[in-house]
Amino acid sequence: MDFLDWVRGPLLALSLIVFVGGVSWRLWALWRLPAAGAGAPERQHFGRGAALQAALTRMVPKGGFHPSATLVTINPYVFHIGIAVVFLGYAPHIAFIRRLTGLHWPALPDGVMYVAAGASIVSLLLALLFRLTDPVLRRISRADDTITWTLTFLPFLTGMAVIGESSELILARDHPVYRGPLAVHLLSLELLLVWFPFGKLMHAFLVLPARMQLAGFFGRRGVRS
Amino acid sequence: MINMDVFHGFLQAIHQLPQMARPEPMDDAQRLERAKAVMRAKTDRGLALDLEACVNCGYCSEACHFFQGTQDPKYSPSRKLDLLRRLHARERSAFAPLKRLFVADITVDDLREWQELVYDSCTECGRCSMVCPMGVNTAHGVNVMREALFEAGLAPLELLAVAQEQAGRGTVFGVGPAELMQCVQSLRSRGIAVPLDEPQADVMLVTTVIDVLLYHDAFAAMARILNHLGVRWTLRSAGFEAANFGLLSGSESLQKAATRRLVDEALAIGARVVILPECGHAYPALRWEGRLSDGSPLPFEVFAASEFVGREIQAGRLALQPPADPGRKITYHDACKLARHGGVMDEPRAALRALGMDLRETTPTAEQNWCCGGGAGAFLINRAEGLRHKAWTIKREQVDATGAETVAVSCGSCRLNFMAGAEADAWPTSIESVVELVARQLPDGQA
Repeated sequence: MDFLDWVRGPLLALSLIVFVGGVSWRLWALWRLPAAGAGAPERQHFGRGAALQAALTRMVPKGGFHPSATLVTINPYVFHIGIAVVFLGYAPHIAFIRRLTGLHWPALPDGVMYVAAGASIVSLLLALLFRLTDPVLRRISRADDTITWTLTFLPFLTGMAVIGESSELILARDHPVYRGPLAVHLLSLELLLVWFPFGKLMHAFLVLPARMQLAGFFGRRGVRS
Repeated sequence: MINMDVFHGFLQAIHQLPQMARPEPMDDAQRLERAKAVMRAKTDRGLALDLEACVNCGYCSEACHFFQGTQDPKYSPSRKLDLLRRLHARERSAFAPLKRLFVADITVDDLREWQELVYDSCTECGRCSMVCPMGVNTAHGVNVMREALFEAGLAPLELLAVAQEQAGRGTVFGVGPAELMQCVQSLRSRGIAVPLDEPQADVMLVTTVIDVLLYHDAFAAMARILNHLGVRWTLRSAGFEAANFGLLSGSESLQKAATRRLVDEALAIGARVVILPECGHAYPALRWEGRLSDGSPLPFEVFAASEFVGREIQAGRLALQPPADPGRKITYHDACKLARHGGVMDEPRAALRALGMDLRETTPTAEQNWCCGGGAGAFLINRAEGLRHKAWTIKREQVDATGAETVAVSCGSCRLNFMAGAEADAWPTSIESVVELVARQLPDGQA
């Protein structure tokens, strides 16, 4: 049992247990807290459907705010979309998910993945640059920001070492050629999964409830948010 | 006409407020424990979700007039919730035992530092929530921090003094039933019928200290509009003050007591409608947070003055005469508590459109409008004067960009802040009240 076997076997299982258990525990710890009481009669009906719609349309950046935010606003779109394309669209990643869950879907061409990965790396580096140089971000940053950035960047960095061949060739082999680099790449993903419930990566699960909560607060008062 | 001597006298009175405050003596350990108790009690599911959802992106700073006015990162809105975030992480979050190893406990020095952050440099305007990609309600968290600091005896002395006066003597800036009576008699001497302490009425009109002392014309305007509509209305001397210094200072018990005075009077006369004066925070205090003592919803409707007038115009029950100066360029400033936190946006505009003047919108406007910098009690905090003026500058430039000669407001605090800013900057734009503008064009021959 070499390093890759360990990473693909017990360590992967452990990281998935921490991820699923940690995320569930964190969500339950929030939902066990008391909820606020009923509010005053609403100005106009604003149900869950309207709140969900408002939460989804919040993905479109608001006009009317300070223009200096433009690049800072666009950058997160690049790395969020880039991460989604690379993780869900690259053929070897789909094969990995299929082995774990049985689920699979058509892959995107390798070229798309390369562009998405390149854009994500540049975008993450820009995000780091902003965090290190912007006075506001310097002031409000915590260890969580540094750890989360590092653990998000690592899978991209380690992934570079295992894309020397086309995905068709990689998948055609029974066994991976670059066992060491592949193990390091998978290990970096596992570190990300382990950290996920403890830091701000949890926003992936909190974004919709938080946006819907605010949309409800404003919406029942007749305010477009 | 506004008596500028009274305006300057009011500003002088604000300077004297700290000497009138009676802070409760307590040691630092008590302060910390009392603040923490409030923070724990108020961190419900909704606030905890806000605290945990923040991704530290800093976008909220782009929307904050105090940050934009100063460029000082300490005023970043997300940072204002840090003490709540730390306490929640250490005590009630999912991994609290682990977090305690890495997250520092809050100290009484933190509380002292936060006084400026949640009182002087936040008007709870909520603009930061409009841009937040996670939908964090920062203003709500800031309000909880005000409650914590009030319990810790760390509210600004100016707000403490007025809150104590309202809780104790029932007056605000010395204005009680006798001063209200003088104001009513003054309006009656101008030929305006003002029903006072009628035992039964459909509508209870509420006024506020600043209208009684300074903005008599706004008070008179609402009386004339109600008379013109033929409404059965009254003022009640036992419950006429809309300003709620419990809400502004952070005292929930005082907030409820001030609300109860209004509610009790409205119930006593069987009012179906309560109309609040042009006072921003009074609206969410009664309309959105007001309850009966058993917690049930209020059995009457609550309207802001400009909301009521706009609705009457929209319904065709109130028609206005043409203006003397139809080419006058006019714009509207949305008070944060009325618009963004109240939903009152269309009605004041309906009223202003009915004037027949050249109405122009600011950019941005309505729920994204910039705060003037004087709300949530910030206008009363003496040491915040310079900070307030920097925030006001954004508002002034926004109004100037419309080319308007007149800015209409529907909140007495905003109007005070506009007047102070205009005086400091020799700003030529005239500052008017929405209801006064409407009343000037009433077809009752009293314009």
